[in-house]
Amino acid sequence: MTNTKRAASAILSTLLGIAVVGTVGITLHTLSADPSGKLIATKEADTITVDGKNYPKASVTMGVYPDSATAVKNGSKPTKEDYVQYGPSNHVVLPAHTYVTMTLHVYDSGEKLNNPYFGKVVGTIGGTINIDGVDVSSVAPDAVQHTFTLHGLPTSSQDPLFVNVPLPHVEVNDKDEFIPTKDPGTNNEGHTVVFSFITGGKGEYVFNCEYPCGDGTYAKFGAAMSAYGYMSGKVTVA
Amino acid sequence: MSDHNDVHLEPTPGERFSKFLKRGDIRETLAWATFYTAVFVVLGAYFYPKWMPTVMSTDMKAIERLMVVFTFISAPVCGFVMSIFTQTLRHRHKGDTPPPDGPAIRNNRLATSVFAGVSSLLCLTAIVYGLIELNSSAEAATKDAPNALVVEVTGNQWVWSFNYPSLGVESNVLNLPIDRPVIFQITSADVNHSFWPVQLGVKADANHLATTLAQTTPIKLGTIDVKCAELCGLYHAYMETSGEVMTVSDFNNWVTAQGGHSA
Amino acid sequence: MTTLSPQVSSRPIPNPKKSLITKLNMGTGLIVGVAFALATYYSMQTTLDDATLNFQRNNQVLLATMFMWSIGFLVGIGAFIGPFRWLIGKDLTAEEQLYLAGDGQGIKRYFKYCTDHKVVGIQYLWGVIAMLAVGGSMAMMIRTQLAQPGAKFITPSIYNSLVGLHGITMIVAMIVVATGPFGNFIMPIMIGAADMAFPRLNALSWWVLFTAIPVLCSAWFLGGIPTGWTAYAPLSVQAGPGMNAFIATIIIFAVSTAVAGANITATVIAMRAKGMTWNRVPIFVIGATISVALAVPAFPTFMVSMIQTAMDRTFLTGFFDSNVGGSGWLYAHLFWIMGHPEVYVILLPGVAILMEIVPVFVRMPLFSYTAAVVGFAGIAGLSVLVWAHHMYMSGWLPMLNGPFMVTTEMISIPTGLIFLVILGTLWHGKPWLKVPMLGVYAFLWNMLIGGITGLYLSDVPADNYLHGSMYVTAHFHYTLMGAALTGAVAGLSYWYPKMTGRMLNERAGYISFWFVQIGFQILYLGMFIAGAQGQPRRVSDYAQMYANSNRISTMGAYLIGTGFIVLLWAVIHSWRNGVIAPMNPWGAKTLEWTVPYPVPLVNFDTPPVVTSDPYGYGKAVK
Repeated sequence: MTNTKRAASAILSTLLGIAVVGTVGITLHTLSADPSGKLIATKEADTITVDGKNYPKASVTMGVYPDSATAVKNGSKPTKEDYVQYGPSNHVVLPAHTYVTMTLHVYDSGEKLNNPYFGKVVGTIGGTINIDGVDVSSVAPDAVQHTFTLHGLPTSSQDPLFVNVPLPHVEVNDKDEFIPTKDPGTNNEGHTVVFSFITGGKGEYVFNCEYPCGDGTYAKFGAAMSAYGYMSGKVTVA
Repeated sequence: MSDHNDVHLEPTPGERFSKFLKRGDIRETLAWATFYTAVFVVLGAYFYPKWMPTVMSTDMKAIERLMVVFTFISAPVCGFVMSIFTQTLRHRHKGDTPPPDGPAIRNNRLATSVFAGVSSLLCLTAIVYGLIELNSSAEAATKDAPNALVVEVTGNQWVWSFNYPSLGVESNVLNLPIDRPVIFQITSADVNHSFWPVQLGVKADANHLATTLAQTTPIKLGTIDVKCAELCGLYHAYMETSGEVMTVSDFNNWVTAQGGHSA
Repeated sequence: MTTLSPQVSSRPIPNPKKSLITKLNMGTGLIVGVAFALATYYSMQTTLDDATLNFQRNNQVLLATMFMWSIGFLVGIGAFIGPFRWLIGKDLTAEEQLYLAGDGQGIKRYFKYCTDHKVVGIQYLWGVIAMLAVGGSMAMMIRTQLAQPGAKFITPSIYNSLVGLHGITMIVAMIVVATGPFGNFIMPIMIGAADMAFPRLNALSWWVLFTAIPVLCSAWFLGGIPTGWTAYAPLSVQAGPGMNAFIATIIIFAVSTAVAGANITATVIAMRAKGMTWNRVPIFVIGATISVALAVPAFPTFMVSMIQTAMDRTFLTGFFDSNVGGSGWLYAHLFWIMGHPEVYVILLPGVAILMEIVPVFVRMPLFSYTAAVVGFAGIAGLSVLVWAHHMYMSGWLPMLNGPFMVTTEMISIPTGLIFLVILGTLWHGKPWLKVPMLGVYAFLWNMLIGGITGLYLSDVPADNYLHGSMYVTAHFHYTLMGAALTGAVAGLSYWYPKMTGRMLNERAGYISFWFVQIGFQILYLGMFIAGAQGQPRRVSDYAQMYANSNRISTMGAYLIGTGFIVLLWAVIHSWRNGVIAPMNPWGAKTLEWTVPYPVPLVNFDTPPVVTSDPYGYGKAVK
């Protein structure tokens, strides 16, 4: 084999090898796409003053659905596992420096938190959340169904943001059926939780639930809790 | 007078040593060794303090000092190894045919003993220094215990939370008053985590149904990064929070704002 | 064991149509393996009690399926024919044994249960290449994610799986990288033996390892793993179905390692050529034997810890569950009692290969053979006393941190002896810088950095800062990859002529070497910086302040990847098109260079008689 042929074989093979590895990368990247796209907060027309500063307003509505079928009914895309999940998307986009109001419709039962700290409301305006019309600053640790815990990497390129909202459980009767609750304005059997917080500058954050519902797994934090995209997600402040 | 009557004296160890030092290859080795030792010393003494974070506690100070001291201890070994490395490369055989046979040196008891002895001594120095350091931080811990601020640290997947029992405060940020010893009582609500307030130079794993301890005294105002140093699942990378070492009055104000009572 | 003589090969097997062993190969293995797996899967799914928790049941079914795949494959490829016949009182005939040794079967014997150690060596070589390729690709993915902060290349879940699976793939590959190809192909020839002590076990060790490879790959299709390769409990107990693949891989691999270790040790003890006294044994054989002898007692504890994890996951036994009196510390101990000796199992053969190479390329004897043996033995002996230095920060018993610090720092002394032997051999030599010799220099630098940074980590107060940071990752890559893998690659380029009959393309060898080593320094020096700055390890994202060091690291990683692809090209290309190699291209004095290529079935026409050690170079010193 001539030198040129050998060199060509070497170079082409190397490029082929790089292409193979690149293909693996592209495949993994495609598999990492948000399963249900992004949920973008709606900007409101009016503004609000908090502590002397004026903020634009925005709002976003999500739900926590006990299974995949209910999630799909409420706008999510079908997912691989039949786990409890946030919906209609687990990637929320919020505007920066904005007074954001989140409404969560929650439909699940609950038991006990692993860490009672997450029964407290942290990081919202006034330190409270509104459950079915009533303002509270905490939920009993054994009456929580899920939490919306928003946190991020402390880094110089973004402002810190930490919000913890415990979501009250829906009670079930002996036949494992949900007991309808008073939910102003809807026929839903769940609760409506409303809270507000102020976003900082641009940044990437995550949220995950701190109520362990991965039955059968250690500390009940396996299954849905540890599979990305069900009880966990991303929050982009843009 | 004939030469046969001259007594041939054995050279003294001193003479043999100075003859040894005058050999060309030995001088080259020593020169390179000195050069490389100096390079390693400078690299370690300059770069470790540069890269490592702000010293904000007594323990972190000891750690940065230790990194520099261990560089001094290991530099001669590095110098020696790199010296032979360089020298033999400089005298490499060029060409495609094999080199001629070199001298058949199968052993040199003196060289082996000196090498083993010196490396053992350096190793011993490192051990002793480390043991002294370990002991003194343990002693400091016992000494400071009475007036220390106790912070209960709970790690769970994937958020740190802190409880100050004597102050009635629960928080997700780790604020501390300056110049007051703090004892961290660390536990986990689920799997293994590792509590790491980086600038404070302490670390302890968080285990379920067990309490591990870490203790130090913050000595500088500023921001602390609290990280998790044990892979704990999905959001291990995001299991971080921050905190601040504050003046006592700022700290008390913060405690009150959280609804607690200052001690 | 029957002594096989070449004349027997002309006699055909009686009743060839009836002999089962002629029909069995990798294909039949695959068929029976898949059949066993499917049968197990479906029978368990339909018969298991519905009341068993979904999580437990899933684990039971998956684990059973994976083990039955492995057993089925071994049945299908004929691994149990020999033992079964022996059990019923009729061992294999001489002709059948000759057939099993691959006599006259050409390339087909590489896909069968072949007992010829040379075939097993080549099988291991390709297995190692496959594992390094897969593990290396995963590393490229990891570094791509870490190229910048806030990266959205992959989800944290995929990232964590990559980290854990890259780790275990590389660890398994590195354990066998030197003792597999070279310990099997070269070592028996090197000691003047006709084959290994237990040829059927030799084939078994390879095919058992082979069955573990699809099991490990299946982790990707089962949701990955959330743990690192250390699979700490209780996270491993909490993990999803993918964890079963990890557990099964380790249990299967432990069998392979135990078998291979026993085989190599017995071969070296019992089958050395006449006149090869212990101080005439080549240093590679000493290093490899000490390494596998260390692995044999160490690996069972890993296997036990995996069995316990499996039991916690399938029957809720609670070994590692603090709620019922178990403890994660138990897992950590069992794991690290294996884990620390295991890194020396990885390191020693690579170093021993380099010690074999140096005398040949400086044409001087090995300096202080005794110091080399004492160094290897000292490292192996001390390595069983240091395991809890991985647990300094775990809080299990702080007062024992001091003693473990002492034993750990003491390992630097026998390691120093290893350096002394290589440096002493180089002293006054004129090194011939062929590709194998370059590995020696790379080793000197890489092991120096790896060893010294190990000193920092061994110190308990410093470990308060460094544990769980990228500093640790950089340290062990310097030792395992910079030293051990460099040694194995040097061994490949050194023994390639004997294993393939051709010379490895030299220019490609040099290019690959420089790409890999320079990329290596860029990647891991950058990583030391990130670690010193405070970046934790195994994180899918990091703070802005680590951006620079990570970006530099990623560029180094891509350079390494390219370098290894070039090496892979060279290995494949030279196998068919390389320059035909003379019998002893390097002028070495060990026994493997006295046999021609293709190496005869029984290696030597007449068993050699050894009269001196293989380092008889050089003019005597006055």
